[in-house]
Amino acid sequence: MNGAMNRKLLFILGPVTAIVMFGAVMWTVSALLNQEYKEPYRVPAAVVDTTPRAQGLATEAADAEAKAKAKPYEEVEYRRFPVVGSRVAIWAVAQLHLLFAAFVLAVPIFAFIIEVIGYKTGDQRYDHLAYEFTKLLSVSFSLTATFGAFLTFMLIALYPKFTNYLASVFSPTFLPYVLLFFAEAAFLYTYYYGWGKFHPRVHLALGLGLNLVGTAIMLIANAWVTFMMSPRGVSDQGAVLSVWDAIYNYTWMPINVHRVIANVAFGGSVAAAYAAFKFLQAETDEERAHYDWMGYIGNFVAISAFLPLPFAGYWLAKEIYAFSQTLGLTMMGGAFSWLFIIQAVLIGNLFLAANYYLWLGMGRVEGMQPLQKFIKYLLAGVALCFAIWATPRSIIATVSEIRAMGGSAHPILGYLGVMSAKNTAVNCLILTTFMSFLLYRRTGKVAIVPWAKMGHTLQLAIFAGAAFVVIFLGIYGYFVEATVRIGLSVPQVSSVLFAMVSITAIDVFLYRGASKTGEVRWGRMPVISQYVLIFIAVTFTWLMGLMGYVRSGLRQHWHVYGVIRDTSPDAFTPTLGFATQVVSATVLMFFALIGFVFWISSLHDRPDFKERSNARARERSSEVSPELAVDMPAARTQTS
Amino acid sequence: MRIPHTLRVGTLVIAATSFYTYVGQMVPQKEVQPPQETVIRADLTTADMAKVGREIMDSKGLCFTCHTIGKTEGPLRFPDLAGVDERAKTRVAGLSDIEYFAQTLYEPNAFVVPGFNPGMPVINKPPIGLTDQEILCVIAYLQTLGGTPTVTLQTSHHYYTAPAAPGAAPAAGAAPVQAVAPGGAPAPVGTPPTSPGTPAGAPGAPAAAPPGPAATPGAPAPAAPARGTR
Repeated sequence: MNGAMNRKLLFILGPVTAIVMFGAVMWTVSALLNQEYKEPYRVPAAVVDTTPRAQGLATEAADAEAKAKAKPYEEVEYRRFPVVGSRVAIWAVAQLHLLFAAFVLAVPIFAFIIEVIGYKTGDQRYDHLAYEFTKLLSVSFSLTATFGAFLTFMLIALYPKFTNYLASVFSPTFLPYVLLFFAEAAFLYTYYYGWGKFHPRVHLALGLGLNLVGTAIMLIANAWVTFMMSPRGVSDQGAVLSVWDAIYNYTWMPINVHRVIANVAFGGSVAAAYAAFKFLQAETDEERAHYDWMGYIGNFVAISAFLPLPFAGYWLAKEIYAFSQTLGLTMMGGAFSWLFIIQAVLIGNLFLAANYYLWLGMGRVEGMQPLQKFIKYLLAGVALCFAIWATPRSIIATVSEIRAMGGSAHPILGYLGVMSAKNTAVNCLILTTFMSFLLYRRTGKVAIVPWAKMGHTLQLAIFAGAAFVVIFLGIYGYFVEATVRIGLSVPQVSSVLFAMVSITAIDVFLYRGASKTGEVRWGRMPVISQYVLIFIAVTFTWLMGLMGYVRSGLRQHWHVYGVIRDTSPDAFTPTLGFATQVVSATVLMFFALIGFVFWISSLHDRPDFKERSNARARERSSEVSPELAVDMPAARTQTS
Repeated sequence: MRIPHTLRVGTLVIAATSFYTYVGQMVPQKEVQPPQETVIRADLTTADMAKVGREIMDSKGLCFTCHTIGKTEGPLRFPDLAGVDERAKTRVAGLSDIEYFAQTLYEPNAFVVPGFNPGMPVINKPPIGLTDQEILCVIAYLQTLGGTPTVTLQTSHHYYTAPAAPGAAPAAGAAPVQAVAPGGAPAPVGTPPTSPGTPAGAPGAPAAAPPGPAATPGAPAPAAPARGTR
């Protein structure tokens, strides 16, 4: 009743107030206009600005203007970015651009593969999963492009001379790059918005096109970056001799391969983190089952790509040494040697977390008990290898401690700090994680092929053989010259690769048509497993930031190694502590932004605003009284 | 009270990142400055040259990234330099110690010490890019390792022809080298040549620079000490 009265009062008072205010304004204006006009006092023109001071000032201003007009154009070499400095600003923007670019390049790779599996098997779940991964792409692509433009403008503004030089070398690649970028946008949006709108084969072709164009873009950008590290195709003074040689420099192909693999690992981990986040927010068993499966697939992609990554890293390091021993030694034995201890901590954590997730995942399969007993041995193996890998050659110690040890290397632990031990540890880590994968794959299955026993024996023999080769060569490395020792890593790596490929091949045939002892209960995962997935994504991102730093920082005081010297105030190489702070800040920014991407992507599945309002109203009314809730529409009709 | 998952995830991200930052603070901290440009005076004595050579090997030359002096334990990555002059005299038939050292620096792959991989960079080319005079100083220092230095700034070898001897005798107590930061103003004692055959500094240049083996006016601070002592 009161509400109705108030509305009537407002209805009457509104126009009255408007009329009164209009009258007041009109009165004020007319009163001002009717006043008599009075001429203001003005000083006679003859006395204005005739003092010597005023003349002097006028002459000075004219001189300054003339000088400014006569000043020749000078190219600025560097400009300063406020507060953090130019290098840190470029560093952060470039890293963010690279992280988003890695994600945007990686997701289509495994989305496409999952879609192919869905198409081949006819299982719609795979198709939905591929679509869910692709949903994350749209916003990420925009952010990648934005950061790319941001980086370009920052380079032009802060490092104009150097940017100009790079442009002079690589200008023939710019137009193809831009055209490919257009093609990438066209493929991406057609792939995403055309989901279910085309024949599956046409849609798959779009996915393939998206991946090919994305990879081509990456190859061009990699040429610019790797040229800075291992220049080729230019004279000692930097004059361009061959653009193709500049593109196809020493580290171009290893970086291409390394980045494709690392991008897939990184993209898989971030997609798994998205699934984990959605799992935690899920309200129904069905949602939990879906996101558990999605997280598993994302993590599977990440770890599958992660296992061969060290081998690509070896190749890259080998090419760096081939290009310049000085560069290689700066990396492994100079200013950056301690960085690899930090890297060991990160990779050790990744292996531990990945194995832990797999072991937890066995719990969702009925009949996992027979394999559970192996977990403790695997854990011991992973922990031991992690400890060996993270052991430094020289130990930070006081003078008295160094005297007591007889040097900066510990008399016993010092032996674990050399490459022989580290190569052995990392290869064993890979083998152990691979074993966890195999156990997970076998959980709830029994091989029924006639040659099952022989197959198991053969797999065990290959595994034991690879482990023996790795450990034997690791120990042998302590007793031979450097020339021999360096070459030992090749058979170590080869034996591990051979074991992974051959055991997987045998396993595929061994478990074809296997009998099942239990079903996989998707969604039956402890909550901590989802936090493990998020931890893996953070660690991957941080690792990418750190390795990005070492790749770029290796050049030290050179923009283009040995050709264009950095003469800016930022030419020094910062401490590792400072570098890790910048990496952390970048990682936090990335996760804030990727959180934004996840949120926007989740809006897609959110009910419409009206629908939600109605649902809320229904909830409220049902909370008050079920009877009233039923009567509410009728009551509303009566009031109106 | 139930903590929202978003908050938990945020805390996990920050905690993991903080942990890795902490690990980064635990390793030795070293800030590496760009090498300083050195201007070598024309009137250096052989003893002064050896001192300068040692400094160059420690800084701009990056020699001790790979080489050691007197390492007795553990595997060697590249040859140890203790007593190297003694070996240099007989290492390659027909080459004196000076010629051998010059070859290892200008053309390092011409002879590789048995048991080691080739890996020595060309020292007078970027990224190291020592000048001919700087290389003579390095040779002077290498001669002190197992021998007596004989090289002077007027010494010629296969890769470099020295100009005529300067008229002025070395001034006692004169500063043998003056290092300046890039872009700084070096003492006016002549510019070192960058290619073989270029005159080595101006003869009779003033020797009035402040005493000391390696004054570094206006140069950036040397590398910060490693955090290694508790």
